[in-house]
Amino acid sequence: MEIIYQIFIANGAFTTICKGLWVTVEISLVALILGTLLGAVICFFRMGNNRLMRFLTAGYIALIRGCPVLMLLMLLFYGVLAQSGLSPIAVAILAFALHTAAHVAELLRSSIMATDFGQVEAARTLGFSRIQAFRLVTLPQMMHIARPVYQSTIVNLIQWTSVVGYVTITDLTRVIYNTASRTMQPMITIIGGMIIYIAISYCVYGIFAWMEWRDTREVAE
Amino acid sequence: MGILDVKGLSKAFGDLPVLNNVDLSVQEGERIAIIGASGCGKSVFLRCLNLLEVPDEGHITIDGEEITAKGANIDLIRRKMGMVFQKFHLFSHYNVLDNLCLAPTQLLGMDRVTAEKKAMSLLSQVGLAAKAKVFPTVLSGGQQQRIAICRALMMEPKVLLLDEPTSALDPTMVGEVLAVIRMLAKQKLTMIIVTHEMKFAQEVADRILFFADQGIYEQGSPEEIFNSPQREKTISFIRKHTFFSYEISKRSEFDLMKLQGGIWSFAEKYGINDKHTYLLQLSSEELIYEFFHGSFADGEEVDLKLDVTYAQADDRIIMEVVSGGAEYNPILAESQDDDGMEHIGITLLKKRVSSISYAYEGGKNRVRVEVAGN
Repeated sequence: MEIIYQIFIANGAFTTICKGLWVTVEISLVALILGTLLGAVICFFRMGNNRLMRFLTAGYIALIRGCPVLMLLMLLFYGVLAQSGLSPIAVAILAFALHTAAHVAELLRSSIMATDFGQVEAARTLGFSRIQAFRLVTLPQMMHIARPVYQSTIVNLIQWTSVVGYVTITDLTRVIYNTASRTMQPMITIIGGMIIYIAISYCVYGIFAWMEWRDTREVAE
Repeated sequence: MGILDVKGLSKAFGDLPVLNNVDLSVQEGERIAIIGASGCGKSVFLRCLNLLEVPDEGHITIDGEEITAKGANIDLIRRKMGMVFQKFHLFSHYNVLDNLCLAPTQLLGMDRVTAEKKAMSLLSQVGLAAKAKVFPTVLSGGQQQRIAICRALMMEPKVLLLDEPTSALDPTMVGEVLAVIRMLAKQKLTMIIVTHEMKFAQEVADRILFFADQGIYEQGSPEEIFNSPQREKTISFIRKHTFFSYEISKRSEFDLMKLQGGIWSFAEKYGINDKHTYLLQLSSEELIYEFFHGSFADGEEVDLKLDVTYAQADDRIIMEVVSGGAEYNPILAESQDDDGMEHIGITLLKKRVSSISYAYEGGKNRVRVEVAGN
């Protein structure tokens, strides 16, 4: 117990770990929100009538999904945005948002394609506009279909942010690495770090499980 | 001006013309059935009426408002037309009651209590009031289709369009859906129904449109279309759908199971009971084998044709077997036998059918068998 206290709590270690954890959560959360919004926009054009936009978005998705997010991050940090004066965290958020957007766009597209288009036609014949039909019929159904995959996307994103140490950011992984070096206790430190990641992931799973439970209860009533 | 007017409607998919310059005027309260072979454009025509398919040319006016006009409020005009689909398309994330109440509450500003009351009254008319709180996925196809009809009626459409409403259903469920449509027909609701149920079309519709050659090929009262069609394609279509026909040119190609199956589904379509169906199957089999042995040498090509007709007027089923080859009367077969055993099938048959007759004319053997209907 003493050793665990020494590694994770004593001499400001706890504060350092909490700061690292916050950086991880901050990057993940903001990248997730931006990425989801951007993903929705990309999906809209990917499925739209404009051929040029369809081609561009398909190309974007193919490119981003085809190479490691770390490459994208380094390209932005050391190349494209090197002179921009943006903070490393801002660059990391941008990189992960761009990455998540491609995955979310494909996830949304497959979810929309899995819904029954005939139901949209049925809504249109009742007199609903295209937007109303999307909001009342497609959206709730696609959200239900997308949910399990979206939850994995979030957990993957959180784990992928562990590479931000490459661009001078001190996130949870980097803090754990530093602590392991300082205390010369890699086994205990790294296992401790893994437990924290697992805890975050299960928080995400927990939120989704709760939403699922809430929905099935409504149906039962 | 009718309740629905179509002028010069044309639609092509790429290079493939589907509809060419179609005109139609539907009067209020009229019930129209559209029949025709698969791929003749009858469903596309129906879908063009409410612009689910956008026509290339033409004008469609409903209740005085032109839906094809520039700047027309399509969503508003669509409310005048209800549509029922082959595959129901109920909103799967809503229960039955919500499916019915969604459009009136959202679009007509009806309050929820009034909408529910109206929904429940419609549901009880179609016998499904007990299913109001159930989700569509747990219902049978027939139940889902009845609810889909109610959903369309909630908007009080001027015209109800039904696109093959029974084609996706098990045979056992067709009846319950047709019963609901019959009920609507009695209430003088204007309906346009695309269907493969000939008997139903004949009984419910005021006017039949036969689609072929990218448009309305022939139209008329059920009497005219089914009993005395005038044009070539109509005649052959009606014949194919009110007759069962089977031809044999090679002994080795004779498929008894296919013949029996064909007779069985013909009988089912006309509600002929099991006893008579079995008798028809037995007669066809016996007569064909009789001619195989009596009129043709072994290994020779054969020339046999079998027709089954159902005469609705006097409720009789008539089967005619026409055979080439040597003159041979299968009805007299038993007397030519010493023990009468070999032709026992024919012997049995003669005792059970209402009449059986033989004639040899124009080098063909003809046997006509009549079975009383139900």
